Amino acid sequence: MSYDVVIIGSGPGGYVAAIRCAQVGLKTAIVEKYSSLGGTCLNVGCIPSKALLDSSEHYHNAAHTFKTHGIELKDLKVDLGQMIKRKGDVVKQTVDGINFLMKKNKIDVYTGMGSFVNKNKIKVTAADGKTQEIETKNVIIATGSKPISIPPVPIDKKRIITSTEALNLTEVPKHLIVIGGGVIGLELGSVYSRLGAKVTVVEFLDTLIPAMDRGLGRELQKVLSKQGFEFLFKHKVVGAETKGKEVTVKAENAEGQVVEIKGDYVLVAIGRKAYTEGLNLEAVGVKVDERGRVDVNDHLETSVPGIYAIGDVVKGAMLAHKAEEEGTFVAERLVGQKPHVNYNLIPGVVYTWPEVAAVGYTEEQLKEAGRAYKVGSFPFKASGRARASMDLDGFVKVLADKTTDEILGVHMIGPRAADMIAEAVVAMEFRASAEDVSRMSHAHPTFTESMREACLAATDNRPIHM
Amino acid sequence: MALDIKIPAVGESITEVTIGKWVKKDGDTVKADELLLEIESDKATFELNSEAAGVLRIKAKEGDVVQVGAVIASIEDGGVAAKPADAPAAKAESAAPAATKAAAPSAGTGEVKEIKVPAVGESISEVTIGTWAKKTGDFVQVEDLLCEIESDKATFELRAEVAGTLETVAKQGDVLPIGGLVCKIKVGAGSAAAPQAATSAPAATAASSGGSDYAKGHAAPAAAKILDEKGISTSSVQGTGKDGRITKEDAQNAQNKPVEKAAASNGVSAPKAPAGSRVDDRQKMTSLRKTISRRLVAVKNETAMLTTFNEVNMKPIMDLRAKHKDAFKEKNGVNLGFMSFFTKAVCQALLEYPSVNAYIDGEEIVYHNYCDVSIAVSAPKGLVVPVIRNAETMSFVEVEKEVVRLALKARDNKLTIDEMSGGTFTITNGGIFGSMMSTPIINAPQSAILGMHNIVERPMAVSGQVVILPMMYLALSYDHRIIDGRESVGFLVRVKQLLEDPTRLLLGV
Ligand SMILES: Cc1cc2nc3c(=O)[nH]c(=O)nc-3n(C[C@H](O)[C@H](O)[C@H](O)COP(=O)(O)OP(=O)(O)OC[C@H]3O[C@@H](n4cnc5c(N)ncnc54)[C@H](O)[C@@H]3O)c2cc1C
Repeated sequence: MSYDVVIIGSGPGGYVAAIRCAQVGLKTAIVEKYSSLGGTCLNVGCIPSKALLDSSEHYHNAAHTFKTHGIELKDLKVDLGQMIKRKGDVVKQTVDGINFLMKKNKIDVYTGMGSFVNKNKIKVTAADGKTQEIETKNVIIATGSKPISIPPVPIDKKRIITSTEALNLTEVPKHLIVIGGGVIGLELGSVYSRLGAKVTVVEFLDTLIPAMDRGLGRELQKVLSKQGFEFLFKHKVVGAETKGKEVTVKAENAEGQVVEIKGDYVLVAIGRKAYTEGLNLEAVGVKVDERGRVDVNDHLETSVPGIYAIGDVVKGAMLAHKAEEEGTFVAERLVGQKPHVNYNLIPGVVYTWPEVAAVGYTEEQLKEAGRAYKVGSFPFKASGRARASMDLDGFVKVLADKTTDEILGVHMIGPRAADMIAEAVVAMEFRASAEDVSRMSHAHPTFTESMREACLAATDNRPIHM
Repeated sequence: MALDIKIPAVGESITEVTIGKWVKKDGDTVKADELLLEIESDKATFELNSEAAGVLRIKAKEGDVVQVGAVIASIEDGGVAAKPADAPAAKAESAAPAATKAAAPSAGTGEVKEIKVPAVGESISEVTIGTWAKKTGDFVQVEDLLCEIESDKATFELRAEVAGTLETVAKQGDVLPIGGLVCKIKVGAGSAAAPQAATSAPAATAASSGGSDYAKGHAAPAAAKILDEKGISTSSVQGTGKDGRITKEDAQNAQNKPVEKAAASNGVSAPKAPAGSRVDDRQKMTSLRKTISRRLVAVKNETAMLTTFNEVNMKPIMDLRAKHKDAFKEKNGVNLGFMSFFTKAVCQALLEYPSVNAYIDGEEIVYHNYCDVSIAVSAPKGLVVPVIRNAETMSFVEVEKEVVRLALKARDNKLTIDEMSGGTFTITNGGIFGSMMSTPIINAPQSAILGMHNIVERPMAVSGQVVILPMMYLALSYDHRIIDGRESVGFLVRVKQLLEDPTRLLLGV
């Protein structure tokens, strides 16, 4: 078979690229090594983690807030097996949706490991060893990423696990030790913390979610501590040992002393790395950078013309929606269109509760750039909607240019922040000023009113409800 | 203080121009009246000279499309000019003067600027005020549309020359002479909430908290994609969104300059537009095209136009040319073409049928005692109609030379408005595109137009014999309001007669 474009990898980068390629009239094929399409995101990432976060949040509310709401429950208990099964159903239905979309768009799906024979020929090796070759004019590499592990803590997938195993536990840990205070560790830590586990987070740096505005990390730490999280900052993990059901993690603290933490499960969530194994990039001369990511230019084209790369396998934030933007971008460029990706306006999200979401510049970045800015902040404590739902933690912080009032960054931690950040993205794509947003009607009562109030605060320090 | 150099009103119906070649560079020291650059309109190319001595600061680059009245450069005080060696250093400081300049007009000097009807073109002595875009008390920015002004030939936009508070003087429908007072603008800031006057350097906007136009010209995501695909920079698009943002619609309507129509090639053989594409391409009409469309419809609606036909045997002229063309060329340096025959024949006939050479002006008919013959020439930017003046007094050689001169200028877009204005009768030659027969539209306010066509050998009956002759159909479209059938037909028959027996031209019989 011969195609205009072959996409390797069916994650949110790959499958979106495939659909867009088909939409713009290209003959398209997609190669995926697993029988289930959707990549990390749909199978072992975004979707299953959100399914478990929602289930565990319901349990947590039932245990802690229902009484105040006036709902009495007897014999409340966790059925983890059912939770994992429901999560599995959610994944299956979502993956089936992707299968349907491939058919609908007449995209040929090849199941097997894709590797380069040459620039225009891809070999697909199925699980049973059968191979076939497909010809193509262009290739999009969308092979995503894999979890990183560190030598002192070898993953055994039973007691020392990655996010993938954490999504399929058969019991609620008594004490879960999370190595890494980033997004994935905090989300999965939250799941089991809510279900009753003691959770200890061991972090090398002195803050959570270090890439985000410091104010968010501080507030998140405060809220999670209240929920029962324990944090060990500036601790460098130097070893881990499993004895039966017990794992001992050894970490060196800031003073150079080694401390021991004992738990029954250890989740290693220190980051992910680009995944290019088996692609046989050497055969075509596609260059990778010092961190193993596929090197691309501004148009996401690799060192070999006609071969592109998108998503987690290239530089930039490891986020599903970033991968999707890039998939669309490359597809459209292939037919001569000229889309843009505004990397500064790709929102970051953390699905703890309260959720954390942000877009644009952080205060730290603005300070470093020497830019004169104003800050407007509004706490959910002052929101009627938040009081009604008992979600009083968190705030919205808007950073605006001191002279022009243009919104430069929005950082929020609070109920449904991940949904609310969309408003900030829209406003910033149109380069709205804080006053612009504050002059747009926001339905009452909603969480989004807090965004408007923060904008009022940023404009002239004149919030209404504070 | 710096003096802004703006695009002057260069002629009727011209609202925007393209920046041509800069003769001077940014930072150059210039003298008053020195040539700065060329600007091109749809109709002609003009030269712009410096109004003062000083250091030039260029703000619009070659190829930019700018509105009449737009600031394209400024001349900074001679103080700096005294030290031309310092030019590069002065350049680095240029941001600072721009900022102070921005602050100056907003200080609210209380000065009142009177806005008068500009000279919009020769032969236009009065205009009618159209709809007002702003009302008394509005705060207007430099370049904001104030109102439309209509002349009998075209509609113009009157834009604010300064920022300030508007006070209208003339009402819609008022007829004012050139120079008549239209409105006043109290220079300076309006209400506190009103945005500050736009400065030409966006970086220098020093607006207070709240409204400002820092986002002016910012393209929305979809708009940015469309503009990139068209190869148009955001700076050449007028945003209609909030505070001048460029909307998707603005981008869709943005006009592609033909030179920039570079093919989007990615080295990909993928189909750019899938087979059977049904994608439409929308382009904004150029001001020339808008003027043409408005005028043509006006002529159709406002005159009683009809067309009469005849045919000419071109053999006598062709024989004459064949016989004398080499000698003619050698002696005069120009070819002996058909145009001189047609022009001279038309002039002769016009003098004999004065109503064909006349036009209606209100209640009166104006008869011309001279023949200014407009010749339709196809130029790169569209059809233009330069005028051969007093063609009735010219020799064949003079006509041919004038035709060549005007055609060359048309080709290079160098015709001036003057060279295209006036004209008492038009000749158009559809034959060069292969037209056999057509009904041309009158070039208003003229009353008649002669259409030439291709020369085709046809079997003709001559004295009972079939003879093959090179024949051309002639069409005369005319305004029946002042030209009767007898005159129009008589005129065309006379032209035919003169062409079929050119010696008559010599003898005037
Ligand atoms: C637990 C967890 C939670 C997450 N939650 C979120 C979230 O809430 N929001 C968010 O935006 N992001 C989230 N992410 C990150 C998100 O999953 C990734 O950013 C996203 O999946 C990247 O998409 P991708 O298309 O680049 O690669 P992937 O989704 O990793 O897909 C790559 C695919 O390529 C296949 N592949 C690799 N090599 C080959 C080969 N040689 N031949 C054939 N197939 C191959 C792989 O099997 C895989 O299916 C989460 C990640 C994890 C682990």
